[in-house]
Amino acid sequence: MRGFGAFLAKELAEIVRTWRIWVLPGMVLFFAVSGPPLAALTPELVSSLVTQDTPGVVIQLPDPTYVDAYAQWAKNLSQIVLFAVIIMFGGMVSSERRSGTAALVLAKPLDRSAFIVAKAVSHAALLIASVAVGAVVTWGVTLAIFGEAPVGRLVASTAAWLVLALLFLALMEALSASIDSQAGAAGLGLAAFMLLSIATLWGPLQRYSPAGLMNAPAEIVADKPVELLWPLVTTATATVVLVAVAVWVFRRREL
Amino acid sequence: MTAAIEMAGLVKAYGENRALDGVDLQVAEGSVYGFLGPNGAGKTTTLRILSGLARPTEGEARVFGHDVVGSSADVRATIGYLPDVPGFYDWMTGPEFLRFAGRLFGLEGAVLDSRVSGLLEMAGLDGVRTRIGGYSRGMKQRLGVAQALVNAPKLLLLDEPTSALDPIGRKDVLDMVAALSGRTTVFFSTHILADVERVCDTVAVLDRGRVVEQASVSDLKTRHGSTRLILVVTGDATALGDRLAREPWVTGVETTAANTLVLAVGDIDAARHAVPAAVAGSGLGMVRFDTLEVSLEDVFVGLVGGGA
Repeated sequence: MRGFGAFLAKELAEIVRTWRIWVLPGMVLFFAVSGPPLAALTPELVSSLVTQDTPGVVIQLPDPTYVDAYAQWAKNLSQIVLFAVIIMFGGMVSSERRSGTAALVLAKPLDRSAFIVAKAVSHAALLIASVAVGAVVTWGVTLAIFGEAPVGRLVASTAAWLVLALLFLALMEALSASIDSQAGAAGLGLAAFMLLSIATLWGPLQRYSPAGLMNAPAEIVADKPVELLWPLVTTATATVVLVAVAVWVFRRREL
Repeated sequence: MTAAIEMAGLVKAYGENRALDGVDLQVAEGSVYGFLGPNGAGKTTTLRILSGLARPTEGEARVFGHDVVGSSADVRATIGYLPDVPGFYDWMTGPEFLRFAGRLFGLEGAVLDSRVSGLLEMAGLDGVRTRIGGYSRGMKQRLGVAQALVNAPKLLLLDEPTSALDPIGRKDVLDMVAALSGRTTVFFSTHILADVERVCDTVAVLDRGRVVEQASVSDLKTRHGSTRLILVVTGDATALGDRLAREPWVTGVETTAANTLVLAVGDIDAARHAVPAAVAGSGLGMVRFDTLEVSLEDVFVGLVGGGA
């Protein structure tokens, strides 16, 4: 993996000094800050709407708790943030190929495997750091609003989502190494998301495949029993395999 | 002495299309080698294979004895490469990019510092602190040459380094290349003949994926450029031109003005003896009788059939 350190340093500097530092972290922080107040206000909002539209009807909703705030966080991660990851990371390799930067650096003694692994590591670092900061902010805002915010459920839920998100990161890297179009790779990534969502409907896949992590964040927050061992093992394995596939494909591509 | 570049039967096919069709080429170490050819001749494909960015379909290419496929990392460690349109990270500054490029070659500390500052000065970019995204085309091309030299390469591969530049940018880049003569082997692809004549000592002409000629610039002119003479007389030269055209040592007569002929001759000595006599025999006076220098352009057009 010749040149890995130098290229990883470039990747990390690129994150800090370009639009990338604003988009994903900004989105995650927005949800972290807005989620708990939205959870606190939801019952009042629903009640006022029902009262305006249907006079005489009374709906009683339970008082919101930290669980609602955490559920909001888990829902945002599992949908909007994951979609953003798929779309943003669809060009993580192909953008360098199209712009000619890959040809310039790979004519130097930088291994193609180092190129791919450094991109996986730097994008994973961005994702993990953004979500970790977001989780801390969610915890703080939840504590401030609800006076109660147990750490365990939030950490477990966020960690389960991160493992799934890293799988999608690896998938997008493999797709981006194979396809020059960012939109094309993103489309295939979204298709994979849909397939995995459908796979949750079949018990064996839910128990033993990455599909088991699709609903896990929300179920952990709701304190439902969740079997995570096999989904975690198969997801981690698939992540490593997909990065290896990205390396294999990229080594065979001409620049 | 090991050749800097050796290619034997090099073929690159894209489906039915053969971008390279059996290229055989040898580049001596220390030369500034012009790789000439019209657009689409296969020059960029050749350079991409030499730099490890593409693989040959058949045949082999070696750089300082290393196979470019089997020992790609060793080859890449000894070369500097400037693509035809270099892609830079626009958010970096020039010095940052040179440092990054140097680190990819394992350079660190004082060696990297001195290499970067020397190259920035050579490229006329010392003191420029703007991001590369704000550079002019000429600045980017000079930075491109500088980054290709960051590892003090034994072989510098330049793919049409001047084709998109204005005259001043072209001069700057050619001056940089000329300054490397004798220090580094330079393999320089271009379709601009004046650039080759200016900086290259040896040249190969590529046409439709094949090397059609390979020689020193002067040998090429001697071998492929018939000697041309300009003859200016005191009156109408039409009858004189007809008379000279029948001589066995004349291969062509062109009338460029009423009193001016350009003669292509196969035997310069015979021409020098016979032409003054023919002028006198026609009742004309001689104003000018001189050789015209053969340009590389004449040779190139002759070799590739005017396809450039």
